[in-house]
Amino acid sequence: MAGLGEARGKDRAGIDAVTRLASFLTHPWLTVRVQIGLGLIFIIAALPKIVDPPSFAHMVLNYRILPGSLVNLSALVLPWFELLAGLALVLGIFRRTASVWIGVLLCVFMGAIALNLFWDNPIECGCFDPKDAGKSVEERFFDMKALLLRDAGMLLMVAQSLWAERSRRVAGAPSPVVDPSKVGDLV
Amino acid sequence: METMESTNWRRFFLETAALVVSAVLCALVANLMASRERKLALVTDYPNAQKVPERSAAPPPLSPVVAEAPAASPAAAAPVTAAPASPTFPPIEKGTSVPASSAAPAPDPAAKVKIIENRLSEDELLARFPPPAGKPYREATPEDVTTLFQSGALFIDARRTKVYQEGHIAGARSVSVWESDVAERILDLVNEGRRQDLPVVIYCSGGECEDSHMLSEKLFGAGFTNLVIYKDGWPDWVKRGGKTARGLTP
Repeated sequence: MAGLGEARGKDRAGIDAVTRLASFLTHPWLTVRVQIGLGLIFIIAALPKIVDPPSFAHMVLNYRILPGSLVNLSALVLPWFELLAGLALVLGIFRRTASVWIGVLLCVFMGAIALNLFWDNPIECGCFDPKDAGKSVEERFFDMKALLLRDAGMLLMVAQSLWAERSRRVAGAPSPVVDPSKVGDLV
Repeated sequence: METMESTNWRRFFLETAALVVSAVLCALVANLMASRERKLALVTDYPNAQKVPERSAAPPPLSPVVAEAPAASPAAAAPVTAAPASPTFPPIEKGTSVPASSAAPAPDPAAKVKIIENRLSEDELLARFPPPAGKPYREATPEDVTTLFQSGALFIDARRTKVYQEGHIAGARSVSVWESDVAERILDLVNEGRRQDLPVVIYCSGGECEDSHMLSEKLFGAGFTNLVIYKDGWPDWVKRGGKTARGLTP
């Protein structure tokens, strides 16, 4: 049995590699940084859209998914929802709920971009700047594919955040609240 | 364990509700306080919002087939509204142009010679550019647009006000389809009492810009029956050395 344990990568304390990896991935040190990073990305993405709703409404329309009557309403509310969800993650409140909704938003963005790739409709994402950058059709298609990869990476961050929250609840561990005296360590 | 699970769900829904309600409130207050250019109408509709535009096949311009302006045919014209206000935009001068905004492409000197003096009367305009049957607009060639400009047709700039301010076709009015007061501005045009069967040229940024098409639907709904889309729009106008103006006034 000892040989089998060694074959599975157990260290001297008897903890296998998978457990050590899981322990690292759900560690509060990493979780706090991932949540703050994800939150900041959403805050930065939301601000230009909040400043210029007509431009963002134009972007929303370009996706060709929503009915015309919902375009303006979505363009007004969606950026604020992004901002508040991002703020929640940065401030460490509503962490699980904010992570879930950021994950949902990412899935919706990815689905919308994938659908437009399927429709052969080159659009500008409008993710961080709702103004038309005047890109060529080829550049837009390239960007759309790159965006799918980028959003997939952010989905991994969401998954880490949710996994860590779940592990913490199951283990009954205290929440990884940011200690003000250690803010310097975290940023 | 079951109680803990239900508590988690309850907490999740409450937090979600808090986020959604806060987002809606913030959005409404921010929109209320926004300047005219950045305000959005809450209730509006965009025709063809879910229709994916065809990328490759832009329909060929429906340039009128009449080669020369025929004699006036008032009988064929649509009913004339009261107080026909004749558009008073200046005719284009051969080879002259006001410098456009710094962002605009440089005028093409070779293209300037294409601009010829061809001013038409209202009746000649109607005969040459009759209201398109069965659709709100037609697309026009740059040459047709030049003729319309020289004849004093109404030009409407569908781009954002800020972009209009940086440079627009001389005499063009700003009616940005994306700004909250689009209905108000269209109403102003209607209230001016101009003939709604005369050609009205709408343009935006050219290329894949759809703002002029969207605005044409709204203008058609307001009673303008002879809408002409300048598909190549502002970049083409500047490239061809057309007369331009800057600022908020036409």
